[in-house]
Amino acid sequence: MKADKRTTQFARQLYKLSLGADGRLSSERVAAVLACIEKTKPARALALLQTYHRHLAAEVGRSQALIEHAGPVSDALVAQIAAAMTKKYNRPITPAPKPAPALLAGLRIRVGDDLYDASAHGALEQLATATTA
Amino acid sequence: MTVLEQVEAQIAQLSNRATKRNTGTIRSLADGVANIEGLSDVMYNEMVSFPGNAIGIALNLAQDEVGCIILGDIATLKEGDEVQTTGKLLSVPVGKALLGRVVDALGRPVDGKGPIDSKEACPVERIAPGIIARKSVSQPVFTGITAIDSMIPIGRGQRELIIGDRGTGKTTIAIDTIINQAKINKVGLATGDPKFRPIYSIYVAVGQKNSNIVRTIATLETAGALEYTIIVAAPAADNPANQYIAPFAGAAMGEWFMENDMDALIIYDDLSKHAVAYRQISLILKRPSGREAYPGDVFYLHSRLLERAARLDGKGSLTALPIVETLAGDISAYIPTNIISITDGQIFLETDLFNQGTRPAVSVGLSVSRVGSAAQIKATKQVGGKLKGELAQFRELAAFAQFGSDLDERTRKQLDRGARIVELFKQPASAPIPIEQQCVTLWAMQKGFYDALEIKNIIPAAKSLREFFATRKDPILAEIRAKSALDKDLESKIQAAVDEWKLTQPKA
Ligand SMILES: Nc1ncnc2c1ncn2[C@@H]1O[C@H](COP(=O)(O)OP(=O)(O)O)[C@@H](O)[C@H]1O
Ligand SMILES: [Mg+2]
Repeated sequence: MKADKRTTQFARQLYKLSLGADGRLSSERVAAVLACIEKTKPARALALLQTYHRHLAAEVGRSQALIEHAGPVSDALVAQIAAAMTKKYNRPITPAPKPAPALLAGLRIRVGDDLYDASAHGALEQLATATTA
Repeated sequence: MTVLEQVEAQIAQLSNRATKRNTGTIRSLADGVANIEGLSDVMYNEMVSFPGNAIGIALNLAQDEVGCIILGDIATLKEGDEVQTTGKLLSVPVGKALLGRVVDALGRPVDGKGPIDSKEACPVERIAPGIIARKSVSQPVFTGITAIDSMIPIGRGQRELIIGDRGTGKTTIAIDTIINQAKINKVGLATGDPKFRPIYSIYVAVGQKNSNIVRTIATLETAGALEYTIIVAAPAADNPANQYIAPFAGAAMGEWFMENDMDALIIYDDLSKHAVAYRQISLILKRPSGREAYPGDVFYLHSRLLERAARLDGKGSLTALPIVETLAGDISAYIPTNIISITDGQIFLETDLFNQGTRPAVSVGLSVSRVGSAAQIKATKQVGGKLKGELAQFRELAAFAQFGSDLDERTRKQLDRGARIVELFKQPASAPIPIEQQCVTLWAMQKGFYDALEIKNIIPAAKSLREFFATRKDPILAEIRAKSALDKDLESKIQAAVDEWKLTQPKA
């Protein structure tokens, strides 16, 4: 279902209500928002919830560094990456390591919609587009 | 280092260089437009890479979404696919390697003649040259169509609109002009004169049927004009994004010639269909629409396209002949009025004239060229300077004469002469006439050489006169070409030659 303009706006307001004083998602506030939706049953509730959920997911994405890795990575490296990203984005970033053998070698880090590719797979892909374009 | 070590080192280097990309996810797809979630870093007009071979351009930067038009193959794309920013603005290949080729809106060959070896690329959207860099129009572009070259002359760097209903010969005029450039280029380059400036052509086909484009290419090829021409094709079957970009891609290719001290001519065939493609895109991007449901910035779209045609001080020129199709001759509709106000004049083609057999169906009264007369050569001014006024008067008288039966001698003479001029201006498709031959035929008209002929014999007589000069009096033609003006001596040579030609004609 496609959300209309009003629903989109409403969802964005709800998302803003879900942020705590520190500017980060507060599980308490999210629970309160959900309870309120449950109680009032607003128009187009499904579209509203879907859009709201996308905002939450994007926020989670922005506050974490998804570290995909082909080989083993040390805890120290993970901590180092998290620290570097926290500094870069000027907000707390939690690391989330995830094995990804498809990368062949190296790492790929995703923070929000930014993608840092230092994987062999990415390099080969780049090489492929550079030679076929 | 062993080879193996070298390769390993290179691989290590490859994988060590982290690249940062901003990404997004396709939320919806329709008609070559994608709405994308993410892409928070994307710039307006930035190229976005899609899976497969497709390329997007970010056009709408909204709060939660980015609207991208997609060029290239969209068949394999689906919702949920990931896309990435590229940090680059859309560019197309430019340069002489493109001459003789047919390319798509991205400058990729579609003629099956193999890859194009172009060394440079230029951004598709560029700021037009400012006032200071521009120079006023003073060198001619000969269309090879007598009615136009003598009455509505076009200069290098000018923007002259070709407007009329469907089937009135708009494309034909544009193609004839390209063919004429090829003819002039061949003659000029053969002389080895270093001052000779050829004109290269770019034909941008927007929203046309493929069969029409194929026919146009064949016409150019048969006329030997393809080698001086680049064809940018965004047929009706292409998604609207390609049709929207194609004229800008063509402009970038044309600008390359201009920037590199060469002259080029670009045809946009046609901007009505271009506007429709843009309207379709805007509709999907949910942009507000105005008159005739076109988005409010369609005027800006066309003005920034046509502004790029110019003559640059100390460099070359880009002449633009945009084409607009009207409905029932209505030039007051939104797109026609817009483009009329942007261009330096228009060649208006009339269905009635076309159906009466007056082809090219140029309406003398409604056609103007606001800057071109500065570029017209003196010879044409000498032999054709009064024709426009005479012809306009003829049209008036002719309308009037339908009602009155007994006309005075003077009116009858004027009508008779007008009918002869109309006849002389008739010209078949794909047969542009060199300017020096035009001069000779008009000179003979001025001197009354056709007055004794029956109207139906004028076209064959003019043709025979031109052929006589082309085959027997080439030195005179060459002299007209070189001097660009008729002096006493040259005129007496023309007189003698025409007298000689008259002897070859059967007695009336
Ligand atoms: N000067 C001309 N003499 C004879 N036929 C012409 C002339 N100009 C155009 N035609 C014919 O008229 C038809 C329509 O011309 P075209 O240039 O395709 O029109 P438009 O682009 O305005 O739709 C074509 O078949 C073309 O060959
Ligand atoms: Mg046409």
